Amino acid sequence: MSDFSGMEDLLQDFLQEAHDLLSDVDNKLVDLEKTPDDKGLLNDIFRGFHTVKGGAGFLNASELVTLCHLTENLFDRLRNGELQLTAELMDVIMDATKGVREMFGELGQMVQPQPAESRVIAALQGALNGEMPSGAPAPVEPPPVIVPLASGAPTSAGASGEPDWNQLHEVVTGQAVKAAEGELITRAEAAPAVAAKPSATPVARADAEADSQAASPYGRRTSDRPNPQPAAARRTEERARENTIRVDTSRLDQVLNLSGEIGLTKNRLTSLRADILAGKSDSETLHALDQAVSQLDLLVSDLQNSVMKTRMQPIGRLFQKYPRIARDLARQLGKDVELVLAGEETEVDKTMIEDLADPLIHLIRNAVDHGVELPDERAAAGKPAKSLVRLEARQEGDHIVLIIADDGKGMSAERIRAKAVDKGLISEEEANTLDERQSLNLIFLPGFSTKAQVSDVSGRGVGMDVVKTNIQKLNGSVEIRSEPGKGSVFLISLPLTLAILPVLLVLLGDQPFALPLSLVREILPIDQQRIQEVGGKETMVVRGEVLPIISLARMLGWPLVRTPEYGVFMQTAERSFILSVDSFAGRDDAVIKSLEDFRPKGVAGVTTLSNGQIVLILDMKELLTDLGQHGEVGTAIRNFEFG
Amino acid sequence: MAADPKTRFLVVDDFSTMRRIVRNLLKELGFTNVDEAEDGAIALQKLQNGGFEFVVTDWNMPNMDGLTLLQTIRATPTLKHLPVLMITAEAKKENIIAAAQAGASGYIVKPFTAGTLSEKLNKIFEKFGQA
Repeated sequence: MSDFSGMEDLLQDFLQEAHDLLSDVDNKLVDLEKTPDDKGLLNDIFRGFHTVKGGAGFLNASELVTLCHLTENLFDRLRNGELQLTAELMDVIMDATKGVREMFGELGQMVQPQPAESRVIAALQGALNGEMPSGAPAPVEPPPVIVPLASGAPTSAGASGEPDWNQLHEVVTGQAVKAAEGELITRAEAAPAVAAKPSATPVARADAEADSQAASPYGRRTSDRPNPQPAAARRTEERARENTIRVDTSRLDQVLNLSGEIGLTKNRLTSLRADILAGKSDSETLHALDQAVSQLDLLVSDLQNSVMKTRMQPIGRLFQKYPRIARDLARQLGKDVELVLAGEETEVDKTMIEDLADPLIHLIRNAVDHGVELPDERAAAGKPAKSLVRLEARQEGDHIVLIIADDGKGMSAERIRAKAVDKGLISEEEANTLDERQSLNLIFLPGFSTKAQVSDVSGRGVGMDVVKTNIQKLNGSVEIRSEPGKGSVFLISLPLTLAILPVLLVLLGDQPFALPLSLVREILPIDQQRIQEVGGKETMVVRGEVLPIISLARMLGWPLVRTPEYGVFMQTAERSFILSVDSFAGRDDAVIKSLEDFRPKGVAGVTTLSNGQIVLILDMKELLTDLGQHGEVGTAIRNFEFG
Repeated sequence: MAADPKTRFLVVDDFSTMRRIVRNLLKELGFTNVDEAEDGAIALQKLQNGGFEFVVTDWNMPNMDGLTLLQTIRATPTLKHLPVLMITAEAKKENIIAAAQAGASGYIVKPFTAGTLSEKLNKIFEKFGQA
């Protein structure tokens, strides 16, 4: 059962727009801490709550209206200079904002929000009454009842306000209120506004309205509320994924335009086909055919690009929430941290934005929690008290690069190695062979943590290993650079889109396989003379680096028919190696089709070549994990019916 | 001026959800000739290009708020006869007085139903019909 039947569309629109507004408010709040007297900021924040309140009224979300109303009044006082912004007041405001966000979550579940925490409401009312919040317990009223707001909201229509207005108006304007204006102050019985059908009967007369308004100036009456359900149970429900997207109309126009042009070219081809079938094959016809096909080629790739662009969203929408998170966390930890954003306009595939949210939060929390130092440590190191954490996005060629950099204490490769050995993640010998980069990468191992995570701060059960796994799922990679004393940088590199994967096509016998090009460093001939056996395994030295040779045939459990002549120098996050193959068939931009229910291990998906042949896209990571205990992998792929 | 279904409305609000709500309510009442503007400044530009017969505007907006828009409309010879219905989130008396002084044709408080909107519009149509 939904509380919003018939208004789902409206609710979705509202939530999307209101979420943006609230993120904007969040950022402005962070700015406000720096410049508490900025009238422009106060005004903007006031308007944010005001607008959300207005929309919430139409959804009958009375609890949201109440909370926004109180907060809005607080900002009204602030911007008029009647109240001064203090740290305590800021905390009240932050709590209220959090409450609003939680209510958005409930609305997203299609249920009417529960009342805000009585503590928050009481603190807001206290602040409006000029008392500083003291974190006092709940007010006298039991929480499920709407707190009598009129008393705490002096600027709104009080219980006594109603009848004098016409008179007042007369006094001010010097003329009797006309019928039309007499209606000015009436207010609709706040029935489900949008769902209501047009009705010939006047909804309510002024008297009745005045009553209802006095009783509940913010929308519905208490009795209208649905039976309260346990909010906790609801909040734990998994949040539905946003399945709508906002697209600039000019981009849709472009798609429309291109599909129109493709239609025209198709017509041209149809008429040429008729000519050719009728036996016409003079050079003019063939030339026209050639032209039409080339044109189609161009148009289709333009169309693919345009459609892809409709999925692109500025990453700023994701970044927006982070300054607030960083600020809250820093405060909790007694640190002074500013999160600086850059490149918010960089566009990223929508699905990717959603999947990046958690890894980025984790990296930012990590930077604030583990990266930057406490103010006195910074002072001792001769650094400014305020630490800067930079979150930046930019496009580099066909990749998106995300940077999370802090100016903290940096990471020591030495200490990380020691820790990893200590935790039994690697052996002493292994540790000694690792270079700086490899050592830093140890923090991505499951079970690794440079600091016992006592605070629930970096908690959430997410470790750096999960960050890395999530980024890899997006075909991306993470790199760490760190300089002790100066700070650390996490570099995330992502493909522009998930729909198209650049691949290298390699041949095993006659069968092509596709390898993600992002893992390929270079292609080398394999000279049998240069193969050296190390510990019973074949290796080759490439520019001073000893690399193991792994045969693709062996990896897949196929019989080794001939000696591989070519090697692909591949680099995954964990290791570098040479994959030996029989030959190459070129590179391609694969449109990935997932295998849904039937996905053999080691296969990321399939794609079709221009000649119609089906090719498996190999999942190198899975194949490598299973190497050694192969059999299962090989069998699965052997049994796959090739078209 | 009877309630002509072809009456051309301009709905002014910075919150697109709200514009959509007002547009839907107007549609329920049979008015489909509706254009939108995001704030007072954009509204004024559209109005100056002509063709509008009715303005429904929010009060609180960036750039130019509804009250300033109303005042500007009343001070512009070519626009001053336009009916203007003000929408606002609450019935604060000082707001209502300010709106009345600035020459608002009507005033409606969020949230409202199609029924209430219809009443307000009819009152305004009647009044303008007499004038």
